[in-house]
Amino acid sequence: MSAATPVLSMRGIGKSFTGVRALDDVSLDCHAGEVHAICGENGAGKSTLMKVLGGVYRPDEGEILLGGQPVAFRHPVEARRAGISIIHQELSLLPERSVADNIFLGLEPTRSGLLDRAVMQNGARRLLERVGARVHPGALVKSLSIAEQQLVEIAKALALDASIIVMDEPTAALDDRDAGRLLELVGTLRREGAAVLYISHRMAELKAIADRITVLKDGKLVATHTAAALTPAMIVRLMVGRDLADFFPTPGDPAKLGPIVLSVQDGGNAVLADIALDLRAGEIVGIAGLEGSGKGALGRALFGDEPFTRGRMMIDGHEGLISSPRTAIAAGIGFLSDDRKREGIAPQQSLRDNVLMTLRAFAQRLLPPGSGAMARTAADRQLTEVDVRAAGFAQEIRELSGGNQQKVVIGRWLARDPKLLIFLEPTRGIDVAAKAAIYQLMRSLADRGRAILMISSDLPEIIGVSDRVIVMHEGRLAGELKRGASEEQVMHLALGTGATEAAA
Amino acid sequence: MSASADIAVARPAREIPVAPLLFAGSLALYIVTALATGQHAYLTGEGFVGLTQRMVALGIVALGQTLTILVGSIDLSVANLISVAAVLASFIMKGEPAMIAPAVLAVLALSAAVGLVNGLIIARLDVNPLIATLGVGLILQGLLSASFSNFAGSVPSAFQAFAYGRIGPLPWSVLLLFVLAFAIWLMLTRTRFGAHLYATGGNRDGARLAGIRTERVIIGAHVLCSLMAGLTGLYLASRLRAGAPWVGRDGVYDLESIAVVVIGGTLLAGGRGGVWGTLAGVFLFATLDAVFNMTGIDAFPKQVLRGAIVILAVAVYAVRSRGHVA
Repeated sequence: MSAATPVLSMRGIGKSFTGVRALDDVSLDCHAGEVHAICGENGAGKSTLMKVLGGVYRPDEGEILLGGQPVAFRHPVEARRAGISIIHQELSLLPERSVADNIFLGLEPTRSGLLDRAVMQNGARRLLERVGARVHPGALVKSLSIAEQQLVEIAKALALDASIIVMDEPTAALDDRDAGRLLELVGTLRREGAAVLYISHRMAELKAIADRITVLKDGKLVATHTAAALTPAMIVRLMVGRDLADFFPTPGDPAKLGPIVLSVQDGGNAVLADIALDLRAGEIVGIAGLEGSGKGALGRALFGDEPFTRGRMMIDGHEGLISSPRTAIAAGIGFLSDDRKREGIAPQQSLRDNVLMTLRAFAQRLLPPGSGAMARTAADRQLTEVDVRAAGFAQEIRELSGGNQQKVVIGRWLARDPKLLIFLEPTRGIDVAAKAAIYQLMRSLADRGRAILMISSDLPEIIGVSDRVIVMHEGRLAGELKRGASEEQVMHLALGTGATEAAA
Repeated sequence: MSASADIAVARPAREIPVAPLLFAGSLALYIVTALATGQHAYLTGEGFVGLTQRMVALGIVALGQTLTILVGSIDLSVANLISVAAVLASFIMKGEPAMIAPAVLAVLALSAAVGLVNGLIIARLDVNPLIATLGVGLILQGLLSASFSNFAGSVPSAFQAFAYGRIGPLPWSVLLLFVLAFAIWLMLTRTRFGAHLYATGGNRDGARLAGIRTERVIIGAHVLCSLMAGLTGLYLASRLRAGAPWVGRDGVYDLESIAVVVIGGTLLAGGRGGVWGTLAGVFLFATLDAVFNMTGIDAFPKQVLRGAIVILAVAVYAVRSRGHVA
């Protein structure tokens, strides 16, 4: 780190939304060739701070200095012109346009007034190579996997040739292999002299690439330290303001395992093959695998979203075929989608409406008198059971944090007293404290006789929460590991290398 | 990272070519009906010219409507603007050849202004485009009805050449339609504005974050759309030899222009589609008109069939896009 003028310096930034203080006197700077990590729980103000920097919001107080010169952005285009490139947390790609169109969006090269397609294609190919994405520049974005889309998003940010690069949880949708490649790229950018602001929840990443770490909490800056001076435990303590002694719940008692609630033999469909699986009441089974390994497809097959087309299923001792989500729910299966915004919640409806959604789907056509009040009590009971924190249960669910939204969706299933709950990426985009709460909730559900299938790309979570781990590779089950397996063992199976010894 | 360089990247699969299929299907329907009813006059060069001439009025508005729909907006004021343009043109011309140029300029200026107002209301005031353009359309019709109740003025014969004149066998108006279509296609696929139009329609917030001034793109699309409606009004004045305050309404240009855009494969939500699909949709409607003329069936089944085609087209697109679960 040099003592020269920082490339970027934010001084005393304050921002309020209709009376809510989102940012309060936040100051930080970033030098050329430095990776400055910013962490904090959801709602701590990280994304707001980045939007201020990117010209999306104008700060109420404070100033931004670029190379010592004060600037004031009124539109994102001005921030981009000043050399600030932001990879936003929500994917902002156009699904119906080509990869090259997306990468050069807003920066389209022209020749005598017309778009220069050749320059776009070649430039896109170069940038895609740089981020390690194996996609064709002419491919439509909608044909890509989420991980590939994330890499395209990063290529898009690099197209600007920016001196300041902001990454807002860029690895959230990536598996470990792609995430590793991304971290290498961040290292390259740093060597080339870029100033990188890096927002992340993943401790391992912060240790690997950050030079300095700033922790935000409730819109205020808690501390800025050099990365070397902080341990993960210290970072967590700064973020939540207390120790998280019981981050992962206590494991289940093998002696208390109940009967098999779901069993699959020779299950298969377009992306899955030879699936054989027994799930018992009282256990949490983790499913790990790389992006594209079919782990998500397995969850969707069991829930009937994209059902098995081959094989046999036994549910609670009865032979049955699950052909749609409705038959799955009727058979006692609940499902938590990995795409909460699109598939999990009805954003503009109340907590109660959201938690009652499944109950109502199976209600009588004509509700008996007084059922409105009954439904309301039922809703409130479920919401209390999952410990949702909200101003009130009539509040619109979109105003809640991701963790609380997730609890509402879990609560939805409890009304049906499900035997099996399938959780896809249950803590994606959820802050540390809420993660711990979700884990505890999962364990208590299992302890009360439910089977839980947790499909996740987050290895520490797979290892810390599951009673046993099944690893998938190319649409098949590659092997099973007992509790206490290491990340290396899981990765071996996931990559399809050394399967025999790891399975022991 | 360097490892990926030598890994072969599969070329993307091509999408189904909507426009040629629609066009070929319509043409086949036309030929088969002409043969079946024994009306061979429809199969001469003159017959086909007549068929393309049926496309002109709806075609020009629909080109404009394509732009507003692509940008994620819509324009319900086109029919009323067409009436205003037709009446204004013939009212200013009053049969005087010298007044052609001022009348055309006045109509285009007024149209651009209407588009600007539409665009400003939608992009700056954030009013839903259905409501905004419906309101502007009602205002236009109200002003028009307050001032005119019948044919107003007339157009000089020199201006009638716009609708009736030809170079060689090809009518000017048909040529104009295809030149406009080509120009807009060029704009959509080869210019920055075109790329930004798709981007804004595909994801307005995403486009804004990419540094695109989305308000300008939306306003631009509306100005172009209204200009197209103004041109259609001029064409109708030329064809009818005078403007009447009901020409736009009678042609149902607002709803039909939306229908052909959607039939042509442009996503109603915006961000996907193009000019040739729209023209193919217009061609389909022109073919249906001709086919019903040949068979002598009255107009009501035609409306029913058009409605069914619109629904069917949207259903087909919806089912097809369901296959793309990423």
